Amino acid sequence: MSSHNVLEGRGLKKSFGPTVALAGVDLTIHRGEAVAIMGPSGSGKSTLLHCLAGIMKPDSGEVHLLGQRVDTLGERGRSVLRRTRFGFVFQFGQLLPELPADENVALPLMLGDHSRARAVREARSWFGPLGLAGMEGRRPGELSGGQAQRVAIARALVTRPAVVFADEPTGALDQATGHDTMRLLVEATKHNDASLVVVTHDPHVAGWCDRVVEVRDGLMLTGRPHAASPSPHTASAHAVSPHAVSPHAEAGGR
Amino acid sequence: MRNLMALTWRLLRGGGRRGLLGSSLTVAAVAVSTTLLIFAVAVNFAFAGRAGREAWRSPVPAGGTARAIEAVQADLVRGRLVTVVHVAVLVPGIAPPPGLTRLPGPGEVAMSPALAAIANLPELVGRFPRTVAGTVGDAGLIHPGELVAVVGHAPADPVMSGRGTAGHRPGAPATRVAGFEGATTPDAGAYSALAAVASVFMVVPLLVFGGAAARLTVARRDRRLASLRLVGATPGQVVVMTVAEAVITAFGGAVLGLVLYAAASPPLTRVEIAGGPWFVADLWPGVLPLAAVLLAVPLLVGVSAVAGLRRIVVSPLGVAKRETPPAMRFVRVTGLLVALALVPTLGFGARVGVVVAVLGLAFLSLNLVGPWVVALVGRVTVRAARGPASLLAGRRLVDDPRSAWRTVSGVALTGFVAGFVGLLAPSSSLSAQDDVVASWLLRDIRTGTLIVLVVSFLVAIVSAGITAASSVLDRRQTYALLRLAGTPLEVLDRARRLETLVPLTVMGGGSILTGAICATPFAKVGVSSTGAITLLVCVVAGFAGVVGAGALSRPLLRSVATDPAPRPD
Ligand SMILES: Nc1ncnc2c1ncn2[C@@H]1O[C@H](COP(=O)(O)OP(=O)(O)O)[C@@H](O)[C@H]1O
Ligand SMILES: [Mg+2]
Repeated sequence: MSSHNVLEGRGLKKSFGPTVALAGVDLTIHRGEAVAIMGPSGSGKSTLLHCLAGIMKPDSGEVHLLGQRVDTLGERGRSVLRRTRFGFVFQFGQLLPELPADENVALPLMLGDHSRARAVREARSWFGPLGLAGMEGRRPGELSGGQAQRVAIARALVTRPAVVFADEPTGALDQATGHDTMRLLVEATKHNDASLVVVTHDPHVAGWCDRVVEVRDGLMLTGRPHAASPSPHTASAHAVSPHAVSPHAEAGGR
Repeated sequence: MRNLMALTWRLLRGGGRRGLLGSSLTVAAVAVSTTLLIFAVAVNFAFAGRAGREAWRSPVPAGGTARAIEAVQADLVRGRLVTVVHVAVLVPGIAPPPGLTRLPGPGEVAMSPALAAIANLPELVGRFPRTVAGTVGDAGLIHPGELVAVVGHAPADPVMSGRGTAGHRPGAPATRVAGFEGATTPDAGAYSALAAVASVFMVVPLLVFGGAAARLTVARRDRRLASLRLVGATPGQVVVMTVAEAVITAFGGAVLGLVLYAAASPPLTRVEIAGGPWFVADLWPGVLPLAAVLLAVPLLVGVSAVAGLRRIVVSPLGVAKRETPPAMRFVRVTGLLVALALVPTLGFGARVGVVVAVLGLAFLSLNLVGPWVVALVGRVTVRAARGPASLLAGRRLVDDPRSAWRTVSGVALTGFVAGFVGLLAPSSSLSAQDDVVASWLLRDIRTGTLIVLVVSFLVAIVSAGITAASSVLDRRQTYALLRLAGTPLEVLDRARRLETLVPLTVMGGGSILTGAICATPFAKVGVSSTGAITLLVCVVAGFAGVVGAGALSRPLLRSVATDPAPRPD
């Protein structure tokens, strides 16, 4: 295994009763790489993502994170792994409605060993770069769909994860907002040296990723690199991390 | 209209397993409310019943021709009160008092069954004439174990001349009466008044809680109803559908509540008040009051449902957004101040109805201020929070203070009285006859307060369980996604527990403590250790029950959160 492999799934199989969701998939995610998973509905994209992220145990096959096998960990171990090494952006509904945006972002840090003040300070430092300045005190119900997803992106990145998983993160947004949000997601993960695994139906979105993986009937079809299409981060990546603009970045970095 | 009803029925049945769970939560909430409401109503009828059955022993001097002479004597035998009614007939043909088929003639006696059973005790032998001329039946007895004798005399007997019967309580000097209708005794009147006050203490939190049960249904349907509005249903149609659903559910709950009450009433009859337990029939207030409760509960739930719906109906988008709740208006505080200002004006002379009305008003105003205090407690919790659980709990309290208030209101309202009365001791000596009734009264006030406190805790327990379960259901997607992202469920669990415990401790515990402290100046008479211990046991059990009820939803949390592929429904 080469050293720039962050996450590696080998021979992943998963069935739900008679339904075969994954029929043996190999997929390697490299450091800082953005991978789009595409395919028709019901083809096994979410299942693949869940197996890679330690949400589900595959029936057979192995998952390695930075050379360490993680699919054999117990539920608690995988929970900790998900909280500390991975970030997640779901379609919607992942923010706690009672908490203001900044505390929603700070939550994963508070679950770790950060003090509340430090967690909130660190969380707030992400708001400016993600175009959320002034939204810190708003609650999820008072945010637009696109803003809420950006808060979710901030929450996924605030722990400085190795890999960010996103399952149709813009599926509930209109196309223009969806594109903006997705660009921000790709740029922000890239800028923070995190890899991105994103399930999407949108070829545009796939175009911004480094690689597209097609899944059909639980099998992987292709793994074509995207030499032709430049990743968007080259244009404005400096704008999407607190490192670039926030004086707190040093305090919060690991 | 038919179509609308059909659609409502489908919505009700088609909610799936979790929708069904949501509806059953409402049913449970309404059922418990109904049970306790029936109890609160029945208590008044029970005391009124006792007062009526006892009235014949409170002779009223005849206005016109006297037809009999009646004297009442009370004394203690082995710590139990024996009531002896002496009668002499002046004009034959006078109707006997309730419970007697005929009046005993001179040299005859009629005894209550409980007295007949112990008539052979040495203390009693020779006290009554040998000839037993009947039984004092239930209709003439305060309680099943009451010791009552009716002794017949000739009008010329000394006992009938007024001398020889001291004014023992409860007793009456020889009085010439026209009949045995009698009058409500002052003691019975006092008990009825206290029962009315206790009902207010129980009913106010119940109404708050029962109304909340309706909103529970509405909240669950919010999203679906809002989409109906978006699709083009008129406000009227939405109102009809929701209200119909709430009322159907509530009626089911009310009937279940009646069944629960039937199951709970036998043990309740054994609670001793004024020296004895109750007849089974005492706890059944009659068909009309029961029917009124069974109709009023769904009606109230329907009205609350309409109130809860107002926002959706106004704007179909209104519910999709979740706004910061509006701050509490000062009006609420003024309401409380007005009610509190009225309290001192109530002297001892005030009519029971007025006392109950003012008390109810004060309670309702306290109810308006309660959520504001909960929000304050929440803000303090948020400020002090260091970990995610307490932060979340505090934010939740600020976000929806009414829901927490619903849970703690009963305990917060009755806690003061319970704390106050719980510590006071009735005078310990039962030797002086005149003390018996007074000492009963204090003990009974304590018993009654404890019952009200138990009811309050029951409301708190059920409300805590339902709030916890419904908050899990409402946030099931978020919880599931948080778990996917690695959030330990224990944190969410702890947050839920704190959300109830913090306001319960601060407001419920605070009010009990305040009551106890206010009682200390009076405790010179004697602090009752049994009272204090009973109070403590009740409080500890209540808190444990609240925590336990919250914990019941832990499996629910686990099941919604371990859904591997959470989807919005
Ligand atoms: N928890 C589950 N229980 C049963 N079947 C499931 C479950 N999750 C997914 N499936 C099935 O596995 C297949 C792949 O699902 P999924 O990975 O969600 O597809 P995709 O995300 O590509 O739409 C589908 O046929 C789906 O019905
Ligand atoms: Mg999917």
